[in-house]
Amino acid sequence: MILFFQTLISGLSLGSIYALIALGYTMVYGIAKMLNFAHGDVIMIGAYSVIVAVMQMNMPPILAIFVSIAFCALLGVIIEFLAYKPLRKAPSLAVLITAIGVSYFLQNIAQLIFGTQQKFFPKIISLPSVTLGTIEISGITLATLAVTAIIMIVLTLFINKTKVGKAMRAVSEDKEAAELMGISTNRTISVTFAIGSALAAVASIFYGATYTYIKPTTGSMPGIKAFTAAVFGGIGSIPGAMLGGILLGIIEQFSKAYVSTTMSDAIVFAVLVIVLVVKPTGLLGKKISEKV
Amino acid sequence: MKNFKKISTLLLAVLMIASCVVLSSCGNEKKADDVLVIGGVGPLTGDYANYGNSVKNGAEIAVAEINAAGGINGFTIRLDFQDSAGVPDSAVAAYGKLMDDDMMVSLGGVLSGETASIVAAAKDDGILILTPSASADDALKGNDAAFRVCFSDSSQGVSAANYIGANNLPKKVAVFYQNDIDYSSGLYKAFEDTADANGIEIVVVESFTSDTDTDFTTQITAIQNSGAEMIFMPIYADEASTFLSQANGKFAEDMLFFGCDGLDGIIGKVADTADCENVLLLTPFAADAEAENVQKFVTAYKNAHNDAIPDQFAADGYDAIYAIKAAMEKANITVEDQDNFNSRIVAAMTEITVNGVTGNMTWEASGETAKDPIVMIIKSGVAQLYNP
Amino acid sequence: MKNNILKKAFSKNSLTIYFVVAIYAVLSVMLYGDLASRQLTNMIISVSCYIVLAVSLNLVVGLLGELSLGHAGFMSVGLFSGCLFSMWTVNLLPMVVRLPLAMIFGGIFAAIIGFVVGLPALRLKGDYLAIVTLACGEIVKNVITNLEVTGGALGLTTTRPETYIYSKPKDLLPYAAVLVLITVVVMMNIKKSKHGRAIMAIRDNRIAAEATGINVTYYKLIVFVLAAFFAGAAGVLYGHSFANIKPATFNYNMSIEILVIVVLGGMGSINGSIIAAIALRALPEALREFSDYRMLAYSILLIAIMLLNSNEKFTEFKSRFTLKEFAKKFSSKKKDQKEAEENE
Repeated sequence: MILFFQTLISGLSLGSIYALIALGYTMVYGIAKMLNFAHGDVIMIGAYSVIVAVMQMNMPPILAIFVSIAFCALLGVIIEFLAYKPLRKAPSLAVLITAIGVSYFLQNIAQLIFGTQQKFFPKIISLPSVTLGTIEISGITLATLAVTAIIMIVLTLFINKTKVGKAMRAVSEDKEAAELMGISTNRTISVTFAIGSALAAVASIFYGATYTYIKPTTGSMPGIKAFTAAVFGGIGSIPGAMLGGILLGIIEQFSKAYVSTTMSDAIVFAVLVIVLVVKPTGLLGKKISEKV
Repeated sequence: MKNFKKISTLLLAVLMIASCVVLSSCGNEKKADDVLVIGGVGPLTGDYANYGNSVKNGAEIAVAEINAAGGINGFTIRLDFQDSAGVPDSAVAAYGKLMDDDMMVSLGGVLSGETASIVAAAKDDGILILTPSASADDALKGNDAAFRVCFSDSSQGVSAANYIGANNLPKKVAVFYQNDIDYSSGLYKAFEDTADANGIEIVVVESFTSDTDTDFTTQITAIQNSGAEMIFMPIYADEASTFLSQANGKFAEDMLFFGCDGLDGIIGKVADTADCENVLLLTPFAADAEAENVQKFVTAYKNAHNDAIPDQFAADGYDAIYAIKAAMEKANITVEDQDNFNSRIVAAMTEITVNGVTGNMTWEASGETAKDPIVMIIKSGVAQLYNP
Repeated sequence: MKNNILKKAFSKNSLTIYFVVAIYAVLSVMLYGDLASRQLTNMIISVSCYIVLAVSLNLVVGLLGELSLGHAGFMSVGLFSGCLFSMWTVNLLPMVVRLPLAMIFGGIFAAIIGFVVGLPALRLKGDYLAIVTLACGEIVKNVITNLEVTGGALGLTTTRPETYIYSKPKDLLPYAAVLVLITVVVMMNIKKSKHGRAIMAIRDNRIAAEATGINVTYYKLIVFVLAAFFAGAAGVLYGHSFANIKPATFNYNMSIEILVIVVLGGMGSINGSIIAAIALRALPEALREFSDYRMLAYSILLIAIMLLNSNEKFTEFKSRFTLKEFAKKFSSKKKDQKEAEENE
């Protein structure tokens, strides 16, 4: 029984990181209708920017966090402007390939600047762990869960209640109609990317605090897992991303603990395939009605 | 969409022609007679880039030292190190490019898989291949001119089991290894095969893959519950540092972590040196060793690379260059007399003794090296010789 | 009558075949005449495999319009099963029988997996199907890594004396040429046939296609099975050209690389896939002069090409230089000449 709870906690810890990354993924997908394969690499850049800010520029941690968030938001807007904006009318696959190109670019530029050896993330968050009976929950896990939940709620409110959020939904529904209503598609998508990349920076801080070590290729696997999580929950759905991420983490840790550490990925993906076959638009995804 | 669908070919054709021209045109300039071209291939980008760059950096230091001291028998060395990104097609193509560019001695590849393919592709070339770090048992198969600086995986796994058996170390052992790379699996298999004979009881085997190498909490829990007194971890330093930082405080204080040469440089990689307390290393190279040549190498490496501490890969790269130098001198190859270069230098490989930073090495005709590993233990952030 | 033959001889399709034959003719002259650089020699087989992979993936992505991110998984299944077959029969059969049989064997194994992956494709579409194909590719990788018979993480070594199936580019070139040619011919015929039109109808409007009596289930499955078959056969060839093959190589990154080739070459365009495969595989090699900046330059070029391709003015400018246009001009010129001759 103890093992069960221990596994559940470690699943929550891993899942909350996936969920945090998946939020940014799904946000960009929901509005701009593109799979931003470079999202994981923005996380990697975010982590490096914290490392530079704290270790080399000796900034206080709080300031470093804000600098990193601002930097990533700006990076997201620049990437969008240079690489994705010219492809607004191109088929979605062309944008996907460009995103892959951006991902390669970010990895290689990070390698040139920071080298190939792993760097460690400064201990900027230290939270006491909570003990429940014999089970110990680390402070960072709780913080990640809380932050993910808060971001999910704020994002949902933002998209549903604010003017900018409404504009985003309009752009997502129908770009041309939105333009006719006086909404600037370009600016709305830029804002989306700024928010998505800022979320990536937040994710990078919790990723770094949990897993300590950062390499130029650090972003790619969490990126793919978060993409999986977003699809699992129903891509484009913000609560779905959170649910998908946490479930993915829990399934992964349970298959490691109870079945096999070597086959855990196969099991996770097999569960995903089964869920999608039963529920083709993910757990919380909108049903797409086909027009004839 | 229509335009896109009708994608035509001009741009691609131009690119293709341009690449063909580049591919065929380079390598036509003849190199000078007194230059010894040593070619290396390894992952300088991508997931395994740290290993390739370490080998390259280590080899570069040896080349700089030798050239500064007047070269080898009148030759100056030019090191040409090409990127493989860890993919076999790229590695074999890179080997081809090096051959086009008049490579005289090859450092093979850095990873075992790419080295095996290079070794096979080089079969009819007769060129000496001295791989610094390709350790898989099969990596040198089928080519008599292939040698390596490192141990083979099985010999290392066996000597780890023998060492544990022969010395006063805990016999209840947990294994923690990486299931999708050859180095780690190869060592584990050999260790498992000889464990019984050495009275070692493997109480639990936990593993991970490169896709799941960030979160080890379930594995740590399983090892905690197994009652193991020592963890045998034939993995690389990057993953080990993640494991150790997550394991810190989870095990009894006298828990021992037994690693092989892959763990070298762990002290320089962990965020907190307290994480690697009680790590035992069975390794031919230790950056903390007091030997004069080791300290000279470590100092030169630190100066050249921002105070980074060289790992096993760098040391292997460094020794490979010195072994080539020894073979050149043994075979008495000079600028004036370089007929039958390949056969003479290959024949010399089995006759030389090199006192390198990874120990005193001689080579067998099979390509394997004979050298003695030492065992170090890390206490309070310092590696010292282990006295069982 | 004569005109018809001429027309046929210079139709777009046969032109592609001439193009492939010409490429391999030039390559064999270079290779067997020792004119090719070692770098080029060592690239030929793997580039041929990528051509087959891209052309077969094009069937799924271009013709059926479904995004597949697991093509490397099919290749991997074919590679390991085909190479094992080849190793078991190495002492029984000569290479000229063994290798084609191994390709068929590996292809069939891959096709079975393709069928299994194709099943969810009946219910899913778009990004959901993409993630399922990616998942299947990763499952395949994970399972093969844990199989004893394929050597596990150590991979399959093809150079052990008792099971030596490794072959040099010179020996493999004819097989590569034939495989590429067969793939291209099959794909072209499918595209041209009523089946191809049915598949494209499903892509453009599934419901309308269904309403006209097209069996969507059948066609979706057949597309996945065929694409997987050729990917598997290419895998067998690939496996014979390296001394050691690890299952971990065939991950989603490789699938994405193949997808990049297809998208860059143009959806549904066989010519495009062939040329893009050659160009994209040669590009990183050609960029070796940049040393440390090689992959950075590659990524920038990739983005630049995608941006250029989507630029309307550039596409218009480019469309004047396509193979098809060229062929049209060429054939009409020839036709004029012939007609003139006949008139005389």
